[in-house]
Amino acid sequence: MGRPSEAAGMEALHQLKSTEPPQWLAPSASLSESARAASQHLFASLRPHVRKSPFDELLVDNFDAEQIWQQIDLLTQPLVRSIRRRVKHWEKNPAEIENLLPEVADGGKKVAQGKKMEEIDDDDDDDGGDMDMDDDDDDDDEEMDVDNDGEQDGGKDEGDESEEEEEEKSGGIEDKFLKIKELQEHLEDEEARHYGLDAKNKKSKKKSGSKKLEDEDDDSEEGEEDKEEDDDEDEEVDLFAGGDDEDEEDEMGNARYEDFFGKKKGGSEPKPRFKDELGEDSSSGEEEKEEELSSDDDDDEEEDDDENVNKKPKVLSTHEKEVQKIKSEIEKMEKANLDPKTWTMQGEVTAANRPKNSALEVDLDFEHNVRPVPVITEEVTQSLEEIIKKRIIEGQFDDIKRAPGLPSKAPRELKPVDENKSNKGLAEVYEEEFVQQTDPAAAPLSFSDEQKKEIIEDMSIQSNVPALAMEEIAPVAVSDAAMLAPEEVFSGKGNVKAEVELTQTERKRRRAKKKRKFKAVETKKMASKKAREDELRKQKEGTLLVVQVTHLCCQINVMLNQKL
Amino acid sequence: MLRRNVRLRREYLYRKSLEGKERLRYENKRKIAEALQEGKPIPTELRNVEAELRAEIDLEDDKTAVPRSYIDDEYATATEKDPKILLTTSRDPSAPLVQFVKELKIVFPNAERINRGGQVISEIIESCRSHDFTDVILVHEHRGVPDGMIISHLPFGPTAYFGLLNVVTRHDIKDKKAIGTMSEAYPHLILDNFNTKLGERTANILKHLFPVPKPDTKRILTFANQSDYISFRHHVYEKRGGPKSVELREIGPRFEMRLYQIKLGTMEQTEAQTEWVIRPYMNTTKKRKFIGD
Repeated sequence: MGRPSEAAGMEALHQLKSTEPPQWLAPSASLSESARAASQHLFASLRPHVRKSPFDELLVDNFDAEQIWQQIDLLTQPLVRSIRRRVKHWEKNPAEIENLLPEVADGGKKVAQGKKMEEIDDDDDDDGGDMDMDDDDDDDDEEMDVDNDGEQDGGKDEGDESEEEEEEKSGGIEDKFLKIKELQEHLEDEEARHYGLDAKNKKSKKKSGSKKLEDEDDDSEEGEEDKEEDDDEDEEVDLFAGGDDEDEEDEMGNARYEDFFGKKKGGSEPKPRFKDELGEDSSSGEEEKEEELSSDDDDDEEEDDDENVNKKPKVLSTHEKEVQKIKSEIEKMEKANLDPKTWTMQGEVTAANRPKNSALEVDLDFEHNVRPVPVITEEVTQSLEEIIKKRIIEGQFDDIKRAPGLPSKAPRELKPVDENKSNKGLAEVYEEEFVQQTDPAAAPLSFSDEQKKEIIEDMSIQSNVPALAMEEIAPVAVSDAAMLAPEEVFSGKGNVKAEVELTQTERKRRRAKKKRKFKAVETKKMASKKAREDELRKQKEGTLLVVQVTHLCCQINVMLNQKL
Repeated sequence: MLRRNVRLRREYLYRKSLEGKERLRYENKRKIAEALQEGKPIPTELRNVEAELRAEIDLEDDKTAVPRSYIDDEYATATEKDPKILLTTSRDPSAPLVQFVKELKIVFPNAERINRGGQVISEIIESCRSHDFTDVILVHEHRGVPDGMIISHLPFGPTAYFGLLNVVTRHDIKDKKAIGTMSEAYPHLILDNFNTKLGERTANILKHLFPVPKPDTKRILTFANQSDYISFRHHVYEKRGGPKSVELREIGPRFEMRLYQIKLGTMEQTEAQTEWVIRPYMNTTKKRKFIGD
C-alpha cells in the first residue's frame, strides 16, 4: 500500500479522536486501520527533521504493534536527543527563546491549561512546534499506554488516543465535585508548601517554559501525582540549598488526610451497613447513614479516579470483579461477627441456653482424662496366670500372718523326764547310793551283787520296719486290712467291672482268656512231663536194648557152645 | 458399747492428728542426727530446737525412733481374730445380683449373707457391731450387672469404695461340670503390684478380709493391679508333674475392681474424713498411677 496523502492521515487522526473510549476495548479493524494511517502520517511529518533514519516511511502493512513501535522508536530516539541538546542550549541562553517565543507561546499556553490537555493544532503550528508537540504526544502515548489497562496493542500505539482518552476521562469523571485541573493545582500548591516556595516558582516557570523537561525525565511513572513527585525530585537540590525550614516543619507536622483528599463528610468509609440488622433504633440513624453512604460514595468518586473510570460502564474487569467479591465476603463476615454467637461457640452452655435436642445433632468430642477400661483378652489372662504360677512355685503369698499374742504368763518349763519304767527297784537304788558314799571300790556285798555283774545286756526288740509305720497311731479296732492303702489292696488299672456287670461278650472273652492261660500252663506242664518221660523211656529202652543184646549174646554163646 | 466406740474413735482421730507434728519432729531429729554425723553445721532453722531434740535423740532406741503410723491402726487387732464378714446388697436386688452375692459368700470364708429388705445402712452397721462382725460388704448393681462394691471395716475402720467392671459370674458359665464345686478352704492370697502408699493401704484392706490360711492349701485368690484396675481371680492349683509344674484351674467369679474412694469412717458415717478420692477431671490423671506402677 502506498503512502496515504496528508489529508487521509489527518482524516484518520480526527476519526481516532472522535471515537468513544469503550470502543477501544474491543478490537476493531476500522480503528486499527485508521490508527495505522494516522501513525504513518505522523511519521511522515517527523521524518524530515531526522537526518538519518533507516525508514523513509512507516511500514504498517502486516506488521504487528511491536514492529511499528520499534520503527517509531528508531526515528524518535535521535530526535529526542537533539531536542534535549537544544533545550539545554536555550536554558543557558534564554535570549534565544525570545526568538522562538511567538511559536512557543502558543504551545506554552496550551501546556498551562493542563499537563496532558494539549490540543492538536498541527496544521497551524510550525514544524518545530509541531515536532515538539508531536514528540510530546509520542512520549505521552508511551506513558498513557502504560497507564491504562488497555489490552489492545493495535489500537493504542500512538496518535491522539491519549489525548482523546484524557478528554474522555475528564468527560467521565469530572462532575460538579471533581475537576482534574483543580486537583492538580491543589496538589502542586500542597507540594510547594511542603517543599518550599522557591520550588513552586521554579515549577510554574518550568511549566510555562516547556513541558518537555518533565516528560523527558518521566520514564516510568503512572498518573499525574507521580509526575508531580518527579518534579520534586528534580528540585531536591533546590530544597536543600534554600528551603524554608520553618515552613517545612510546620507544614509537615500539620499535614493531614483532609489536606490531601478533602474533608470526609461525617464518617469513615469502612462503616458497617446497619440497615437490616438494627430494628428500632435505626430509623433516624438509617437516614443519617444513608446520607453518609451517599456522601461516602461521593468521596469515593472524588478520591478514586482510576477505579471509577472502570466502574461507570457496566462491564467490569477481572480485578474489579475480584474486589467486589472480596468486599461482599467481608460484608458477610462482618455481619456474622455482629450476630450473637451460636450456642456451640458460647463456652459453658446449659440445657436452658440452647435449643431443644440440639446436643444430639452436634458431634461432641471430648478429651477423656481417664484411662479406658481394660479389655480382658487371652493375653491378659495368660499373663495373670503366669504371675500366679510363679508365685505358687516360689511359695510367696501375701497372706496375713498371725501376730504372736503377748503371753499372759511365762511358759511352764518342762524338764525331760524318762518315762520308761526303771529296772532297778528302789532298794537297789538306795544300796548303790550307800555304796558310793562309803566306798566306791567295795566288793560285792552279796551273791546277788555278783550275779548282777554277770548280767548280760538288755534285749530290746528291734523291728526292721520303716519309722513311719512305727509311729502310725491307729486305733486297736482297725484291722490290718483297713490299714492298708487302697493301692495295696488292689492295684488294678482301668475300668474294673464285677462279674455281674459283664456283658455276654465280655464273659466269653474272659473265659477264652482264662482258657488260653490255662492251656498255656498245661502245655508247659505237659511239655515238661513229656520231656521227663522221654528221658525215662530212653533210659528204659537203653536198658532193654542192653538186656536184649546180652540175651542175644547168651543165646549165641549157647549156640556156639552147642556147636562146638 | 456406743460410748466406748465413740471414745475409741476419738482417740484414734486424736492420735492421727498428732501424726503430722510427730512426723515433723522426726524429720528435724533426723536432720540434726545427719548433721552431727557428717560434721556439718546444723541448719539454721533448727538451731532453737536443737538442744532438746539432741537430748531426745540420745534417749531413743530402735522402736521409738521411727514414728508410728496410725493409718493402719484399725487393723492392729485384726490378726488376732479371724474376720467375720457380712454380705448384702442394695435395695431391691435383681436375681443375677443375688446370685452373685451368693457366690461371693462362698469366696469369702467366714461370710454371711443377709437379705437387704428395707433396712437402713446405720441399722445394719449397728447390728453388725453388736454381733462382732469385722467387715461389711455391700454390692450394688446396674440392671443385673454388679457394678459397685463397698467394703467397710468395723468397728470404725476405713471404708473402700470400688467399682466393678467386666464381671463374669459362675452362673454365667453354663457348663457346671467343667467348673466343678468351689473349694471352701482358707485361701492363699496374691496381691500383685500394690507399690504406692495408697496401694499398700488398699492391699491391707483387702488382706484383712481373709483369715490365716494353712500353708498347704490349694486355693488361690489373686488381686492383681494393672494401671489402677485390680483384677480379681480365683484359682485352684495342682502340682502334678513335679515341684516346678503347676496346673491352674479357674473357679469362682472374675471381675475388675476400680477404687474410687477411701473414707476414714464406716459406711454410715457420712461426715467422715476422706482419705483419698479419685479425680478423673484432673488433667494429669491419665498419666498418673495411684495404686501401683
